[in-house]
Amino acid sequence: MADQALLSSPGKPVVSEKDIRTLAEVLHEPPDVSESRRECLSAYQSADWPDRVQHLWRYTDPRRVMPEQLKPDQLMPSQRMPSSASQIEQAKDLLPQEGPAVLITPNMKPEVNASAREAGVVLESLSEAREDLAQLGQAVRTDHGLFEALNGAAWNAGLLVKIPRGKLLAEPLRVLIPAMASTNLPRLLVVVEDGASATVVEEHVGGNAGTHSIGVSELFVGTAAQLRHVIVQQWGAGVVGHLTTRTHLERDAQLFTVLASFGGSVVKLDLGAALTGEGAQSEFMGVALGEGRQHFDHHTEHRHIAGHTWSNLDFKVALTGRSRSVYTGLIRIEENAPGSEAYQENRNLMLSEKCRADTIPELEILTDEVSCSHGATVAPVDPEQLFYLASRSISGPDALRLVVRGYLENTLRRIPAGLRDGIESLVTERLTRLVGEH
Amino acid sequence: MKASPITDLNQDYKAKYGFHDPEEYIHKAPKGLSHEVVEMISRYKQEPDWMRRFRHEALDIFLAKPMPKWGNQELLGSIDFDNIHYYLKPQGEQASSWDDVPENIKRTFDRLGVPEAERKFLAGVTAQYESEVVYHSIREDLAKQNVLFTDMDSGLREHPEIVRKYFATIIPPTDNKFAALNSAVWSGGSFIYVPPHTKVEIPLQAYFRINAENMGQFERTLIIADEGSSVHYIEGCTAPVYSSDSLHSAVVELIALDSAHIRYTTIQNWSTNVFNLVTKRAYAHKDAVVEWVDGNLGSKLTMKYPAIYLMGERAHGEVLSVAFAGDGQHQDAGAKMIHAAPNTTSRIISKSISKGEGRSSYRGLVKVAKGAENCKTSVECDALLIGEKARSDTFPTMEIAEDDVKVEHEARVSKLAEEQLFYLQSRGLDIDQARLMIVNGFIEPFVRELPMEYAVELNRLIELEMEGSIG
Repeated sequence: MADQALLSSPGKPVVSEKDIRTLAEVLHEPPDVSESRRECLSAYQSADWPDRVQHLWRYTDPRRVMPEQLKPDQLMPSQRMPSSASQIEQAKDLLPQEGPAVLITPNMKPEVNASAREAGVVLESLSEAREDLAQLGQAVRTDHGLFEALNGAAWNAGLLVKIPRGKLLAEPLRVLIPAMASTNLPRLLVVVEDGASATVVEEHVGGNAGTHSIGVSELFVGTAAQLRHVIVQQWGAGVVGHLTTRTHLERDAQLFTVLASFGGSVVKLDLGAALTGEGAQSEFMGVALGEGRQHFDHHTEHRHIAGHTWSNLDFKVALTGRSRSVYTGLIRIEENAPGSEAYQENRNLMLSEKCRADTIPELEILTDEVSCSHGATVAPVDPEQLFYLASRSISGPDALRLVVRGYLENTLRRIPAGLRDGIESLVTERLTRLVGEH
Repeated sequence: MKASPITDLNQDYKAKYGFHDPEEYIHKAPKGLSHEVVEMISRYKQEPDWMRRFRHEALDIFLAKPMPKWGNQELLGSIDFDNIHYYLKPQGEQASSWDDVPENIKRTFDRLGVPEAERKFLAGVTAQYESEVVYHSIREDLAKQNVLFTDMDSGLREHPEIVRKYFATIIPPTDNKFAALNSAVWSGGSFIYVPPHTKVEIPLQAYFRINAENMGQFERTLIIADEGSSVHYIEGCTAPVYSSDSLHSAVVELIALDSAHIRYTTIQNWSTNVFNLVTKRAYAHKDAVVEWVDGNLGSKLTMKYPAIYLMGERAHGEVLSVAFAGDGQHQDAGAKMIHAAPNTTSRIISKSISKGEGRSSYRGLVKVAKGAENCKTSVECDALLIGEKARSDTFPTMEIAEDDVKVEHEARVSKLAEEQLFYLQSRGLDIDQARLMIVNGFIEPFVRELPMEYAVELNRLIELEMEGSIG
């Protein structure tokens, strides 16, 4: 049997039950956590490679994203040390907000700042959590996919963030997820209880050629709660990364997601929200900037499961060099979700002759009481804009930077005030690099 | 306002098209598909050896290819290839005078209004009954201009050099499973060749009819518009309502040489037990224009994505389509535009209406190849939903490997707007009239492109559909 599974999926790295058992022992995990690992492992072992016919994997070979092998010592946390401490320090300084970041590393001892502690915010290593972990694996389930099952079985650095009922947390919580080992399997669980409000900044940093990162983040936003979720993807050059996030929204919950995706070499992000309670709202503003030979593959999902839910998504991509962007975005309105509205827009700006953009916006609408639209464009810089700037004696990289900045402006402007500055300075820095290459 | 029940499109389908004649066939192939059946068809048609071999190779390809893993898996999985007659030859020889058509078949097409339509406005008509074309005529002036318009079998016999040059060059049997199936067992269809700089002013028409139960119809159409010529071709399709399913799997190849213009109009009104799995593709060479005008009203499952390969500079492609999905129907239709040359332009406009438990999907592809500079393409999809169980999907794909292009896609999905209904009612229209007016307005850009007789017929169909919709 085992041989057959190997034959049907050549090259899928082998992870044994023994490896997982050892991992659970080293991490001193409670039995229910180990049980969820076992379920994911069996899903991983029986899963085939993703079907390339489906849009999700149409343009990215899953074999390029998966590490070639996963030796037992690669999975064990004790073997893992920061590859470059200064790299992490550097990453910490990238967002200008005050306050220390929480690191998701295998040996972390999470600490919160004074105000968060006062508010009763829980930050714990997932393996040592005293809190109830009933939600673990509920937003990204065992059958989600091959990469998610692997993470579910073998994650070795996990963090629980819990904002208690009714607490309004003003300061963003920064969660730094450095890719320090050759294979990184981080996991984040965020629970914003009913009526609470928080900002979680999830930063993926570090790594270089030969580094793999396969991460999963699950987020739960309770009744009338609010979450601002910022995802900054700044992996080092050469990193091959896969990240899946799913957010569940209860009745009247609000989610605002910001994505800034810049780093890595082969990057596949699968970001989604399920609007499971009436009146839930989700807004997504994303920016991706590609250069060199970067291969980006971004997927977003808005699933309207309950009625009178609302979503809006704006994802902008600018490409230079030989970079390539793939975007697939799904809006799905279920049968029992009347009165829902969903909007989606994806724009791609082509800044070089050799870049390439593929985009598949998808609508699946199962009931009639809806209003939905999506739009997608691919175009170069408008020469009229350059001409106008030239007439004002702005030309070359300066002009191009201005045009790209203008292109991103509408998206950046919608980011909540407290977060906008940080993201804008990231974009500016990145743009200087990108357009400076010309 | 409470959603009112709306009757189905084609509620009179049974009375109008749903009759079937007693089966009288000269030849009826046994059910199921095999090299013997293929050999039999080819021998029966006395085909040249290259076509016979082509069929056998295509059958091997069909057998080797898996079913598509995308699309409506449930319905696709329900097709029983062993329970289908792949070839049925009706009585009599092909007639060029209406009086010579066998009585029972004539009755069929009389009931469908084909000769009447011919008298009124058509330059030529082909009527296909089951596997074979039973009636064919072309106006004298066109014959004098050397416009070739015959059924495909006659085309192969009478113009082998043209057929062999172009046949299966646009859609090879390896293209997909259903193209392979058609290549193996094709019979009938239209063959058209328009000589250089010849304009065919009045539309050419073909009418396709399935009569027997568990029948497979596999017509093959090849249209070549030589340099600077133009032609408009229209086809219509119906079948009786049986309890078990029939399969229609056509292959249509269009070739518009430099500066030629082809318009291809289909109004597909198969009964709702027909699987309509069709491959349609066109090559548009330098300065050529190809237009698909595609109406999908009938069938149980339609999978049809008319494609245009823009092969030469400044070629232009257009797809204008309307789909209507009522209860038990899935219209999985769309369009493909491949920009393979610089300065090419294209436009896709797709309108769909899903009613009751109907489902319509738009599946499309816009591809700009490297080097195809200065292309412009826009895609617009509009979906109208009537009923809380109606379903609409939009799956457009854009693959852009060139920076100097303008690609736009837009889609909207909504229900019949309450405000519009309210406004029209405030002007004294009753709810039925108001709904009809909105639906007519919705598909107006499509209807506008049809010849008048077709537009009238389509409007009447829609009217029937909207009748008595008040609950």
